[in-house]
Amino acid sequence: MAERNLEQLEKIREAVSQDLLSGRIELLLGWEKGHYWWQSRPLFASSEGDLARLTWDSFCAVNLSRYLLDELKDHQKVGVLVKGCDSRAFNRLLQDNMVQRDRVILYGLPCPGILDYNLLAAEAGSKLKGITEENGQVILKTEDGEIEVNRDEMLMVKCSECLYPDPVVYDQMLLEPLGQKEVPERFKAVNELEALSSEERFAYWEKELSRCLRCYACRQACPYCSCRECFVEQENPRWQGRAYQPSENFLFHLVRAYHGAGRCIDCGECQRACPVNIPLQELNRKLIKDINELYGDYEAGVDAEKEPPLLTYRPDDPAAFSEK
Amino acid sequence: MKKMIAADELAKLWIRLAEKSTLFLPVQDGPTVLYQPWKDGAQVELEAFNSAISPKDIFLPREETYLHYHCSGQSLELAAVEDDRAVTAFGIHPCDLKAIEMLDRVFMEQEPADSLYQKRREKTTVVALSCTKPDPFCFCGIFDVDPLDAPGADVMAHLVDGYMHLEARTEKGKALLEEAGDLLENSTIDKIEREIKTTDFGLDIKGLPEDLKSRFDDPAWDELYKSCLSCGVCTYVCPTCYCFDVEDYGHDAEGERFRCWDSCMFGHFTQMAGGHNPRPSRKERVRQRFMHKLQYYPEVYNEIACVGCGRCLRSCPVNLDIVQAIKALGGEKVEHR
Amino acid sequence: MSIANPLMPQMATILDITAETPDVKTLRVSGKDGLPFEFMPGQCAMLSVLPVGEAIFSITSSPTCRDCLEFSIKNVGKVSSYLHSLAPGQQIGIRGPYGNGFPVDQIKGKDLLFIGGGIGLAPLRSLIGYCFANRDDYGQIDIVYGARSPADMIRKSEVKETWAEQPNTNVHLTVDAEFPDWKGHIGFVPNYVTELAFTPANKVAITCGPPIMIKFVLQALDKLGFAPEQVITTLEMRMKCGVGKCGRCNLGSVYVCKDGPVFSLAELNELPGEY
Ligand SMILES: Cc1cc2nc3c(=O)[nH]c(=O)nc-3n(C[C@H](O)[C@H](O)[C@H](O)COP(=O)(O)OP(=O)(O)OC[C@H]3O[C@@H](n4cnc5c(N)ncnc54)[C@H](O)[C@@H]3O)c2cc1C
Ligand code: SF4
Ligand code: SF4
Ligand code: SF4
Ligand code: SF4
Ligand code: SF4
Ligand code: FES
Repeated sequence: MAERNLEQLEKIREAVSQDLLSGRIELLLGWEKGHYWWQSRPLFASSEGDLARLTWDSFCAVNLSRYLLDELKDHQKVGVLVKGCDSRAFNRLLQDNMVQRDRVILYGLPCPGILDYNLLAAEAGSKLKGITEENGQVILKTEDGEIEVNRDEMLMVKCSECLYPDPVVYDQMLLEPLGQKEVPERFKAVNELEALSSEERFAYWEKELSRCLRCYACRQACPYCSCRECFVEQENPRWQGRAYQPSENFLFHLVRAYHGAGRCIDCGECQRACPVNIPLQELNRKLIKDINELYGDYEAGVDAEKEPPLLTYRPDDPAAFSEK
Repeated sequence: MKKMIAADELAKLWIRLAEKSTLFLPVQDGPTVLYQPWKDGAQVELEAFNSAISPKDIFLPREETYLHYHCSGQSLELAAVEDDRAVTAFGIHPCDLKAIEMLDRVFMEQEPADSLYQKRREKTTVVALSCTKPDPFCFCGIFDVDPLDAPGADVMAHLVDGYMHLEARTEKGKALLEEAGDLLENSTIDKIEREIKTTDFGLDIKGLPEDLKSRFDDPAWDELYKSCLSCGVCTYVCPTCYCFDVEDYGHDAEGERFRCWDSCMFGHFTQMAGGHNPRPSRKERVRQRFMHKLQYYPEVYNEIACVGCGRCLRSCPVNLDIVQAIKALGGEKVEHR
Repeated sequence: MSIANPLMPQMATILDITAETPDVKTLRVSGKDGLPFEFMPGQCAMLSVLPVGEAIFSITSSPTCRDCLEFSIKNVGKVSSYLHSLAPGQQIGIRGPYGNGFPVDQIKGKDLLFIGGGIGLAPLRSLIGYCFANRDDYGQIDIVYGARSPADMIRKSEVKETWAEQPNTNVHLTVDAEFPDWKGHIGFVPNYVTELAFTPANKVAITCGPPIMIKFVLQALDKLGFAPEQVITTLEMRMKCGVGKCGRCNLGSVYVCKDGPVFSLAELNELPGEY
């Protein structure tokens, strides 16, 4: 029921199983179902048997590109199913020289956005048993009957401002492209925060970040956070202590956000990984917005040839910091 | 002693209990529910299943300072920091209380006792609350947890038809109810009956710990770990995980030493000088976590170190949780395989 | 109800600091009045320098030395380098003793073969000193000690002069490669053990050193016919609490800080090979 469309799944399976059998790839990174219909988890398929478990539905949230860092150590050639954001993550890794293009086969999957189970369950009110999807609507099957809701309103935060549902880099596009998406209110949350006074903004972040456990799951899930040694663990000098002091929390999040300036592809994996739901994407999107305003439009990971503005120098770069 | 209070009067109870102790309650904090000290205006969520982080935070806080130091010249002064506040831990689910009892064995029964933990435990009155509507990830049943009763509670509470019923089970519990005496009436119910459905995910864990003893090198480990991000979320949210780190915070003249949560899922957890790491990759670390829960802990304490609270199932960003692990290791009922 | 916090250090004073090798210094440390606590050979202590942190070190002096504890410390990181930089008179924090220590009673009446490499001599030295102080309780003593170079040997004069003079005792020194002025044996410790062809009868071998050395020493002893019960070694894992709580040193169902660091090879064979 959650399978978006068996026809699509068959098409995908056929393409990748051919490549797996012929040896074009040794391993396929895809998704399989978890315990429940609203969970799809990573699948590491190296045989036809494994592929029987493959799934493609509205819950394939996990960005698979990150696994390349390890899987390319053990395999000569790896195939990856990529959604729009996953493909941008791949470009990000490519630009950081963390993967080799010719050792990866990218299978493109245009993605209408991942559904957020918590939103669905809240909408359903009583017990939610399953969903079907039709024409931009989601039909919730509950114990007390069916409820129809607008699909776009049920998307994960990570998908809410997605401009590129179609993969931007691929070897093979497996499904019909969806075309660039309109985002009517891009940077809505950022605009709201910008409207606050700096004291209010500080108070907002102090409160949100007070929940932070500094488990660094946000970093572990992030495709741009691929440094072999992160500043938070460096011993000498020790930049980041472990104390749960507000200053330490700010240090971590601000330094990370700045490391991501122009490199964050807005995939939202950080926020999805966070066990205490800190709105990390608001922070990241603020930097995306600033960069766009200061250096002209730049969408990280869309074009692997185009260097991030903060990694290049042009004499006419604005010096916003010194001007203020 | 059995008492009750109307659910819409509970705010009065919170005010009363917070007068003489730090009152921890499940509180809505942004989009998450966490056990936090109650403050006026806090949005208490007694029926949240489950808090994002387990209430172990009350007994083994994510950070705990235990000494202050002063240095001058060659001399050093160390002063112990003692936390003597009384605590009320309110609204603890039966699974979480069982998990706390598992920590008791490590921190109190094993010599030397951990005074920081033990003091806090002794100074805390635990009000357990029976479950009303467990979420799909609750699978406490297979670990002999009764969602309607927490044997170790000082006070056992139930929400029934707009009332909270409170039964004192220990001296501490009685003292708590006496403290709030004028707010309470005598309870009108004897026993609560409520049908609670939790899942068992088709698991059969009988004999699993003994079986795993010889399976350190099982090929299942070669597959299971692959999706793990080494993010540590599973261990931070888990009520039975207890690993911690010790660090100093301060400058040359003065500062403090604290301990804080740590996780065996982190690469540097076991990193040694000279580059040697006994658990160099995600495979060894995932194995450590699950073996600790399913084999090492049970070998000492005769009980699997999981209470089925479902937090790792809900929070792992890639759905690599203890149920996946048990299944991969063959702990599944025959008809489910 | 007043239980002491096992993580709380007590005060100690550094009496003196001697450079042993380019990266090892020996610290003599005393508590308020003499020894900060009683201990057995093979046990360890956590030394604290604030705000740098804590680290665990073997007590290298013998319990028969009553005025201070000695530690031989290799400079590898934060705490160790800080300790190296201190001057006599400095106060530091100390807590302990931790670990099970060597089975001094169990090995009574046996011939003893000590095999140490580099800084690994530190815990052995405590036991060796103890055995000399109770010389009649133990049989023949052989000490094999090796280091990368002569300059990397710790307690050199003590080993060469004091130990070699003891009754019924042989000291065998080796270095990894040729060095000017070195007239002794050249070669790795495990090979030297094989060459010396120790016989296992009524003997217990006690070894401590870098993991790679231990690995090959165990193989060499096995070839010489030593049973796993006759071989004792110490494990090194990262440690934070020292009291079996923090989980750092967890290995199977044991905590090395508390149930170890001393294990017989027979015991080790029962544990996951994750060290
Ligand atoms: C039972 C036991 C007895 C020991 N006895 C001695 C001794 O007598 N003399 C001696 O010089 N050293 C000894 N060590 C090793 C010593 O504890 C570590 O080298 C020390 O903790 C490093 O502390 P640091 O703050 O200087 O290094 P850090 O700055 O904390 O770390 C430097 C590097 O060492 C690693 N490290 C941290 N703790 C340990 C550890 N316990 N073992 C190995 N690497 C570690 C870190 O991951 C890092 O890579 C012993 C260790 C154990 C477990
Ligand atoms: S994942 Fe969340 S809790 Fe963990 S460090 Fe990141 S923001 Fe903090
Ligand atoms: S910071 Fe977050 S949104 Fe940006 S690339 Fe990393 S995981 Fe994705
Ligand atoms: S099992 Fe899941 S939650 Fe735990 S470290 Fe791995 S990815 Fe993170
Ligand atoms: S292992 Fe998972 S389900 Fe079990 S107690 Fe820990 S968090 Fe809860
Ligand atoms: S070793 Fe791992 S699984 Fe066990 S308590 Fe520590 S963090 Fe939890
Ligand atoms: S050092 Fe903490 S458990 Fe061993």
